[in-house]
Amino acid sequence: MNFDKELDARGLNCPLPILRAKKALAGMQSGQVLKVVATDPGAVKDFQAFAKQTGNALLQHSEANREFTLYVQRK
Amino acid sequence: MSAADPASLVPYVTGGAFVLAFVFGAVGNKTDFCTMGAVSDWVNMGDTSRMRMWLLAIAVALLGSSALQLAGVVDLSKSIYPGARLTWLSHLVGGFLFGVGMTLGSGCGSKTLIRIGAGNLKSLIVFVFLGIAAYMTLRGLFGAFRVGVLEQASITLAPGQDLGSLAAAATGVDRGTWIAIFAVLIGGAIIAFAYSSRDFRARFDYTLGGVVTGLVVVGGWVVSGVLGYVVEHPETLQEAFVATNTGRMESFTFVSPMAYTLEYLMLWTDTTKIVTYGIASAMGVIAGSAAYALATRTFRWEGFRDAEDTANHVIGGTLMGFGGITALGCTIGQAITGISTLAMGSFITFAAILAGAAATMKYQDRRSGA
Repeated sequence: MNFDKELDARGLNCPLPILRAKKALAGMQSGQVLKVVATDPGAVKDFQAFAKQTGNALLQHSEANREFTLYVQRK
Repeated sequence: MSAADPASLVPYVTGGAFVLAFVFGAVGNKTDFCTMGAVSDWVNMGDTSRMRMWLLAIAVALLGSSALQLAGVVDLSKSIYPGARLTWLSHLVGGFLFGVGMTLGSGCGSKTLIRIGAGNLKSLIVFVFLGIAAYMTLRGLFGAFRVGVLEQASITLAPGQDLGSLAAAATGVDRGTWIAIFAVLIGGAIIAFAYSSRDFRARFDYTLGGVVTGLVVVGGWVVSGVLGYVVEHPETLQEAFVATNTGRMESFTFVSPMAYTLEYLMLWTDTTKIVTYGIASAMGVIAGSAAYALATRTFRWEGFRDAEDTANHVIGGTLMGFGGITALGCTIGQAITGISTLAMGSFITFAAILAGAAATMKYQDRRSGA
């Protein structure tokens, strides 16, 4: 999937991945996509809740090699 | 329960604590029960579902524990929480620092144990620093500050600091009636609030996590207050609650148990040291979480990202150790177990923990991405 910015949140636990994603999205344009790579086991649930609450769309998420890759589109 | 040899009760107490904690660890892992996460979801994205789960656990524990008390099964005044001396500054400072620490350290005491079970090595380091700091606050350098400074600010509430005793003394209506009134009013209001959210109702895990956690605390009182109760200890000729570190009736709390776990390991050859209720409960949470993680193939090793991450967890563990002992408990020990006794200090600690965690998250928010 194409993306406009990437956030490396590997090794970080809640609440830091969400906080850094908020910061990254704040500097992006509407419609742009942020790719997040995270290792926190709760990352997917956290970003699902984040998307629901903030209106930024969680376009896709997957897991490989013990890493979660998530794509969040700025609303 | 009484017995000629109180030592014969120890396996029932520690076994019961381990089994209940195992269930809590497994369910906590499955449902993502996390008191720090509850504050984070609320403060950082306006999602209150996990806060409602925590509140539901408080309500279930309050209603269940009050029912036990009113039925005469246990006497909650024999726990450490409702004593007459309210060390309000200790609750405020300890709770606030615990809230700061749990935000820096990837979760509170129970979440630390759940994360260890799921393979998080960072939380193992938190365990060690939390345990050492807690022990230093119980009997060491930090303890001198706790007793000599913080605990000097206190007030004495002669009837006891629980709402039931205070209301009874003020009105003349008996304590049991007031316990029933407060339990129904507070517990009922919390349950109504929790289920007023469509999001909360839509996901069963929230109900599962809240109800199971609350029931585990209720069960914890039964284990210590019934299975471990000795009417007259043959050596002291006084009533006793076997295999407890406090000598009082206990339910679940997770800061001092980490200190006593380290002590037990370090003083292994001291035959007066035994696996206590608290130690068994800490091990039970790790085991339950590990069992769930392995069964669902979600076990994964996690390590530190960099020096800042390491420092945050070392500081977080230390603050939780100091704060948890100073405030007489953590987000489970005070905010669920303590509140189930309606103790004033537990409500103060709960509020202080929320303030400490929220303030730290606001600070992190300002510097995130820096």
